[in-house]
Amino acid sequence: MSAQGDCEFLVKRARELVNEDPWAAKAWLITARTLYPSDFNIQYEMYTIERNAERTASAGRLLYDMFVNFPEQPVVWREISVITAALRNDCQDKHAQFLRGLFETLPGRVQCEMLLKATEQCFNTLEKAEMLLLLLRRFPESVVQHGVNLGETLLEAESIEDQESPVNCFRKLFVCDVLPLIINNPDMRLPASLLYKYMHKAAEFYISYVTRSPTVESQLQGSQDGGSLKSPSARGSQRYVIEGLTEKSSQIVEPWERLLEILSVVGVRCEWQMDKGSRSYGEILQRMKELARYLGSFDAEAHIRYRNQVVYSVMLVFFRSAYQYVSTIQPMLFQGHSSPGAIPWILVEDLAAVYSDADIDRNKHIHKKRKLADGREKTMSSDDEEGSGKGRGRHILVNKAELPTWADMLESFRAARESWELLHSQETLENEFKRICSSWKTDSWLWLRIFLTDMIIYQGQYRKAISSLHQLASFQAPQQQVSSQGSLEHLRALIQLASCHYTLGEYRMTCEKVLEVMSGLVPQPQDLGRTAEEVSRVRTKFRKGTDLRFLPCTSKAIMPFCLQLMLACFKLRAFTDNRDDLALGHVIVLLQHDWPQGEGLFLKAVDKICQQGSFQYENFFNYITNIDMLEEFAYLRTTEGGKVQLELLPNQGMLIKHHTVTRGITKGVKEDFRLAMERQVSRCGENLHTVLHRFCINEKIILIQSLP
Amino acid sequence: MSDIRHSLLRRDALSAAKEVLYHLDIYFSSQLQSTAVPIVDKGTLELVEEFIFHVPKERGVLPKRMSSLQELQLLEIMCSYFQEQSKDAVRQVIFSALFSPQGNKADDSRMAMLGKLVSMAVAVCRVPILECAALWLQRTHAIYCVRLAKVLVDDYCSLVPGSVQTLQQIFSASPRFCCQFITAVTALFDMSSDDLIPPNDLLEMVVTWIFDDPRLTLITFLNTPISANLPVGCLDLTPLVGLVRWCVKAPLAYKRNRKPALTNGHISKLSKEEKEEEGVGDRDLLYSKLHLSILQVLMMLQVHLTEKNLFGRLGLLVFDHMVQLVEELSRLVDELNPLNATKETELSLDRLAQALQVAVASGALLCTREDLRSLCSRLPHNNLLQLVLSGPVQQQPPHSAFQPGFYPHIHTPPLGYPARPTPPAHSQHPAHPPHPPHSALPAHPVQPFLPGMAFPYRPIR
Repeated sequence: MSAQGDCEFLVKRARELVNEDPWAAKAWLITARTLYPSDFNIQYEMYTIERNAERTASAGRLLYDMFVNFPEQPVVWREISVITAALRNDCQDKHAQFLRGLFETLPGRVQCEMLLKATEQCFNTLEKAEMLLLLLRRFPESVVQHGVNLGETLLEAESIEDQESPVNCFRKLFVCDVLPLIINNPDMRLPASLLYKYMHKAAEFYISYVTRSPTVESQLQGSQDGGSLKSPSARGSQRYVIEGLTEKSSQIVEPWERLLEILSVVGVRCEWQMDKGSRSYGEILQRMKELARYLGSFDAEAHIRYRNQVVYSVMLVFFRSAYQYVSTIQPMLFQGHSSPGAIPWILVEDLAAVYSDADIDRNKHIHKKRKLADGREKTMSSDDEEGSGKGRGRHILVNKAELPTWADMLESFRAARESWELLHSQETLENEFKRICSSWKTDSWLWLRIFLTDMIIYQGQYRKAISSLHQLASFQAPQQQVSSQGSLEHLRALIQLASCHYTLGEYRMTCEKVLEVMSGLVPQPQDLGRTAEEVSRVRTKFRKGTDLRFLPCTSKAIMPFCLQLMLACFKLRAFTDNRDDLALGHVIVLLQHDWPQGEGLFLKAVDKICQQGSFQYENFFNYITNIDMLEEFAYLRTTEGGKVQLELLPNQGMLIKHHTVTRGITKGVKEDFRLAMERQVSRCGENLHTVLHRFCINEKIILIQSLP
Repeated sequence: MSDIRHSLLRRDALSAAKEVLYHLDIYFSSQLQSTAVPIVDKGTLELVEEFIFHVPKERGVLPKRMSSLQELQLLEIMCSYFQEQSKDAVRQVIFSALFSPQGNKADDSRMAMLGKLVSMAVAVCRVPILECAALWLQRTHAIYCVRLAKVLVDDYCSLVPGSVQTLQQIFSASPRFCCQFITAVTALFDMSSDDLIPPNDLLEMVVTWIFDDPRLTLITFLNTPISANLPVGCLDLTPLVGLVRWCVKAPLAYKRNRKPALTNGHISKLSKEEKEEEGVGDRDLLYSKLHLSILQVLMMLQVHLTEKNLFGRLGLLVFDHMVQLVEELSRLVDELNPLNATKETELSLDRLAQALQVAVASGALLCTREDLRSLCSRLPHNNLLQLVLSGPVQQQPPHSAFQPGFYPHIHTPPLGYPARPTPPAHSQHPAHPPHPPHSALPAHPVQPFLPGMAFPYRPIR
């Protein structure tokens, strides 16, 4: 009998026995192995029995034995690749767990060799990288040899495979998995240039990851919800998978904290001016301001080192703060930012002073006085500590109740602005920062543009803000079809444009934008309780300079703002010394909103009419339904009221001319007016929002034309 | 000494026995302070025999007998004495003074008392007594060991169904005792007759113990100095030979056991067969499991021998014992009509072949292939046995990457249990006739096994 024949006989006997008597089968194989210790099939059979029975320890011993003695056997490699595959994926089934347990029983040296050899046999870059990563994680000493190479391979793969976004599987593995191993390994010697490159790649990845827009899948889900399902589970269950990775490995917890960790490790390695203990983002900014001040006093080498420290540190503070700011005012912009029911907010000029007549001479007119509701100080102002320079120290009004995270948001806004300013305070910093930004193509980041626009508005650079808003519109064009959010976003830009034009005194442009907004709105049902709340919210104290405020981006909040903006445009024109009945009429129509906020102004207008002795506004009966106003006008016609000649009916002017010929007919005119008044009183219950909305839509052309 | 005796004579049986225990404690405790090896003198032994085992010293004097209740009380006193005595040495020497057979008429009652004491210790799990008993089983002639084993088997495996559980739990309390107990029961139940087939409960317990931890069988061996001279006629250092005997002979022994049933009356035949129908598959598997465990122990032993540089120098399985086993097997095969027991014979021979091969390969059995061939020359043909006897066919030059060597234990802890305190080497050789040496195949030189020299055989890795 040949040796091979013997072995075949022994294995055959074991196979025959394995089902009815596995113990006997094993006894046969043990015997066989003592006879033919170098026969592979005997040992493989032993291994198979143990593996099929999922006996971890004994299967591990046998696998070890085969790995050491039969390293060239393809069957062994097939086995090892099955095991390493189980190690890489996060599958929780029993067999995968067994395979992982099996691997754990092997001695470290063998695990290391096994992974290395398995890596060599991998042709797919991603798989290969995952395999090497298993190795590096388990055996820190292997990082020195393989770490940097693996990193470079991943970064190369990214460009070879033409990955559009920095959030891709290669970068994820590099930044989240490989990089920490490399930079935290004390035995690694890394040149500063490499570290900066890594920092650069890591920052780009994390920032892009955090600010990634919602995937199509979750958007569909979102639109199906139709806003009615606002439970956290519906929003929180947004799945996000980086192509090529599993869902689990696509999730990154606390990305900003991880980025900060990388920054501090790189900082230590690059010999930055660090101090002990971990710093928060807020503290970093403060420290970098100080360091930046002395930047000029360092020699060339140190200058570059500390310049990099300032740029990289402040840059992170900037992007993080800007992100946090935008995620509050535009929560739906980002994937995974689950704040159910969160509404967007718009930074605009505060128009609380619009009803004030401070800019117009107060004229006493005794009439039944209404007690104005006491405006409670329910609003918040953010005073800038360093209240110097243009655009600084502006107040931003926020409704605390509607925006619970107002303090954090204002703080993020401030930190982002200050970091931006710091980054642009010196040419050397600015150049480096611009270089980084252009390599990341930050110009194409919608969210960043949103922040920058708000920052510019805050700085009071309205001309610049307008061009920034036009840029924003170009981002949104392709987005608009995607969701309804796009159109709200569109309104948002229009409102900000209107607000900017207003502050620049460009009333006609303001009005155009406002009317464009109005045409996109549906009038809300009038809510009396709501108006009362509005009244109490608006501050009555007149402040010098202009304030900003956050306006909720909802139809309900936008329409009142638009009406106020229009009022503001017409107010000055209406009260100039030159007579402009049309503007005055528009003002009176607009003053109906939020009545009696505008009572003072209305009385002022009445004064003006009395002085003029006549008033012509043919739209009067179309849009004025306020009972107080109607009463006042009825009174003006009487002798006691001064017998003011009112031409409020369409074409009445013509009629009056006609009537002067025959005196009897004037009586008919009086009758018309009385009837119109009576009819108008019956309209008092109409939804004012509908009336004013109709006013804006129908009189659009006349409104725009009546402004210079 | 006679003073003590006189005072003891005046007491009742129980208090006299207690007094003797007390005396022994003081006597040996003080001796152990000055010498490592206390002497058990004749006078002391006589006191023990007269007042504890109640053997009359003088003719015509009726010994005081203890009532059953008093005896139970005495056992309880002993139990708590051994439990509370914290010095191992004192405990061991007193246990030895009490229970080492002296080859006289007191031995019967001595053995009876020992049986009751150990049985009681098992029941209430008195580890110190079990440890003393383990040592006793190591030093006492096999005849007495077998007697003690019989008492325990009767108490726990035969009398009360289910009581085997109690015995089984001793595994965790005193592995040393378990190891010796297994050696003793394999000596007791050698399958030479139907009565000497191990009871099922016992078999099951032994298999469970060994399968759970095969190292159990090596405890005594690992804790005994290699140079130690073993007392003549005592049990083997390991139960391995006995266990191999069980596995090899079982298929045929049970077959023989079944035969008389066939000749019995119709009814008994049916019931007997019915019984076997249920149990037979399970029992076969038990032996299969046991056999595998033995092979695994042998593989472990190889690692141990190699580490201690003893490979090829220390044969744990004595060749003569194998000779005896093969003879027994051969007789058993002859006894059964081979035609009726083809399957059983195959299984027996397969197991024998496996045991021989693995024992030789692991260095537990020191002999050449030639020795094996003459050993098995009278056995019927069996493929595996043939393969083992002729040895492996010389293979092509082995794989380049293949490195001959031993299979290293990668994570298993080194063999062995916590070292036992070395017992005082007191040697009270029992005065019984020496065990007759095996005489078949007398002139077998025990050769050291040299791999790759005498025949093409390599040690397994």
